[in-house]
Amino acid sequence: MKVRTWRRRLVPYLLIAPAIVYLAMFFAYPMYQGLVLAIYDDDAVLPVRSEPTLDASEVSKIPQGTALRILDRRSQAMIEDGEAALLTEQWFRVSGSAAVGTSVNGWVPEARIRVRESDAAGNPLTGTVRPKLGQSADPLTDVHAEPDESSSVVGRLEQRVSVSIAEVAVLEVWFLVQPAEDPDEIAGWAPSRYLQVFEDGERGRVHRGTAGEFTSAFIERMIDDRFFEPALRNTLLIMAMLIPLQLVLALAMALVIHARIRFSSGFLYVFALPIGMSDLAAGILFFSIFTGNGLLNSILDGLGLIDGPFAFLTAETTGWILFAIVLAELWRATSIVMVILVAGLQAIPDETLEAAELFGASYWQRVRHIMLPLLKPSIQVALILRTILALQVFAVVIALSGGDVVTVLAHESFRQYFELRNDNVASAYALFILLLSITSAVFYLRSVRSESEVRPT
Amino acid sequence: MAEIRIERVTKSFGDKAAVRDTSLTIADREFLVLLGPSGCGKTTLLRAIAGLGMADSGRITIGGRDVTYLPPGRRQISMVFQSYAIFPHMTVRDNIGFGLRMNKVDKSEISRRVNSAAELLHIEDLLDRRPSAMSGGQRQRVAVARALAMEAKVLLMDEPLSNLDALLRLEMRAELKRLLADVDATTVYVTHDQIEALSMGDRVAVMRDGEIQQCDVPHKVYEAPSNRFVGGFIGNPPMNFLDGMIRRNTDDVVVTVAHHEFSPAAQIAPLIRALNGDRITLGIRAENMETLTAPGPDTVPVSVEVVEPLGAQNLLTVEVGGHRLKVSTHPSLPVAAKDELHIRFPADQIRWIDPANDMVLYT
Repeated sequence: MKVRTWRRRLVPYLLIAPAIVYLAMFFAYPMYQGLVLAIYDDDAVLPVRSEPTLDASEVSKIPQGTALRILDRRSQAMIEDGEAALLTEQWFRVSGSAAVGTSVNGWVPEARIRVRESDAAGNPLTGTVRPKLGQSADPLTDVHAEPDESSSVVGRLEQRVSVSIAEVAVLEVWFLVQPAEDPDEIAGWAPSRYLQVFEDGERGRVHRGTAGEFTSAFIERMIDDRFFEPALRNTLLIMAMLIPLQLVLALAMALVIHARIRFSSGFLYVFALPIGMSDLAAGILFFSIFTGNGLLNSILDGLGLIDGPFAFLTAETTGWILFAIVLAELWRATSIVMVILVAGLQAIPDETLEAAELFGASYWQRVRHIMLPLLKPSIQVALILRTILALQVFAVVIALSGGDVVTVLAHESFRQYFELRNDNVASAYALFILLLSITSAVFYLRSVRSESEVRPT
Repeated sequence: MAEIRIERVTKSFGDKAAVRDTSLTIADREFLVLLGPSGCGKTTLLRAIAGLGMADSGRITIGGRDVTYLPPGRRQISMVFQSYAIFPHMTVRDNIGFGLRMNKVDKSEISRRVNSAAELLHIEDLLDRRPSAMSGGQRQRVAVARALAMEAKVLLMDEPLSNLDALLRLEMRAELKRLLADVDATTVYVTHDQIEALSMGDRVAVMRDGEIQQCDVPHKVYEAPSNRFVGGFIGNPPMNFLDGMIRRNTDDVVVTVAHHEFSPAAQIAPLIRALNGDRITLGIRAENMETLTAPGPDTVPVSVEVVEPLGAQNLLTVEVGGHRLKVSTHPSLPVAAKDELHIRFPADQIRWIDPANDMVLYT
């Protein structure tokens, strides 16, 4: 019995499980990734270590791009991860006759051996020890137990002695580094692949970090971007002009349809037609109206109002471009608001409106005292939807301004991603649009609260 | 003075005539009930009076003023809707005062009338609440208060009790009757519930297929239906109908039903004699038959099929000559199914119906 009720309670969760999986995979995860892209830098800092090996403890973290002082260098076995452009050193394991006549077998840096013979694959087989130049130099060459200068010396070789080469070791150079600006900072070891070493071998900079870090750098870059302010201003300006106009117009259209006058279903189809058009097509349509030899100029010219075509869509006439954008959006998307309002009007019972009429309310009184208050939830939905869509306005702007003369937030996100290849800042723009959308939705939900929700306790 | 005159009003929806060529005069301050089954046109007629659906043809006057083509707001009427049609976004106070505000009545007057209407309906405590948090009965009271606050000369009510549960309906019916007795309005009340109609109306107009079948005081509609439809529609159980054959003798008329001969009352006999054809229908109400356990003069033997004790009476279903009759008897009469009973039909309680047009014959 208990198991049964337990199972029955589980049923609704099982039913929505696919929806939850879907939401997690295609909604929550991409959202999370987008958020991470905007505020998390994958390679922000480079950890440096106490010893020139990967398993040594981290002593400090140096941010990407920091100028460095290089204090020491040492070669270490390479980290196998296929990285290119490394600073490397080769060591050979050689065997030959030492000065006293005994045989020596050990590691010598590649710089001390002249290779005389190689096999078909290019691997060195034999060589001779290079002579050392200068009077004061020690003429003998140290042979080490390990491919490492700090390992013990197992023998010494005369110059020009022939040796056979048994093995080649490629080592990566590690550097002991310290931020150049800050000599008090603890110095640490880092492999060459993450550093850029300048020619003098004493200075360098962190080329790339290996550890991520939350950062406001991308958001700061977005705000400092020279297009950010005009994009924000234009987006808000379009929104502020568009939404009140659209609401009033849509309300008028909805009232016409709801009045059930003759041909009102015909009106519905005419009004709703632009919903079927893509926003880019709407932009192109209005471009063809406002362009130099477009419809508007032909009409104005035909009426004799202008001498020759007037250029509406130029950098000097951004006001006209904004006007054309608002007009195109108004034409394209007002009907969506209208459809929501028509649905809202149809949800008002006929008897309620008849009662108002019977108790002496004129048409405008019915609109003001009955329809508008009862439409509040629909108006709220329409406003939220339209504001969010207005914040995302993009294709119409591209069509009418090319995106440079008049730019909007969505276009800046696009520009950062495709033209500047900076997906972090693009993501920051997208996040900013999301933030504005959420803010506006919360604002509407709080300010246009429908009265039936407000119940006295 | 607010006499309502409906003259030859017709209203159609598409091909279907909801009200056909109907005339009716409702006296000032009268309580008239429009009664009929669903689809009979009673609501359409009410809406034509209200102006919510203009009549196709005919004339409607209220207090001598032709309102046929006036919009509802200018007819000086008030109405209670079936769904109450309360404005959900307004408080009860604003709902009741809505019509007065729209008609630009003085503020202090509005407040006076709203309070007195609320008092009448016992909803003073609800004045500042919103309808969304109220029960059906409370909303109903708000709707009635809103209509009464108008103090209009004409009050229209469209099935105001039909959305209430049975017990509340019974309570509200009596309360409405008490309230409306004190209101100086001509009231038109639409209902499909015959008990509401008979108990509340000064007169009852029974409608069927867009036509008024009979319009009279409740007990006349019940006792003397004008036709077979009214008899069969009103009363619970409805009137019994029996088919009979007329035999015209030289000096009298005899009607044979199931091998039993009935002699009509003396006044009605000449009308029966004058009918075309030999067929006639007898109508009699369940409570108007005398039931006897032993045969007597003019009794008809019947067999009891079902006995339904209803408390105040027993309702019997009896069989006679292939007809089934409903007979109500006093609970003290000992009777069981399959018993044999004897029934007498009092001559003055029989309604004689001409089968050609289903009209009841009256002198």
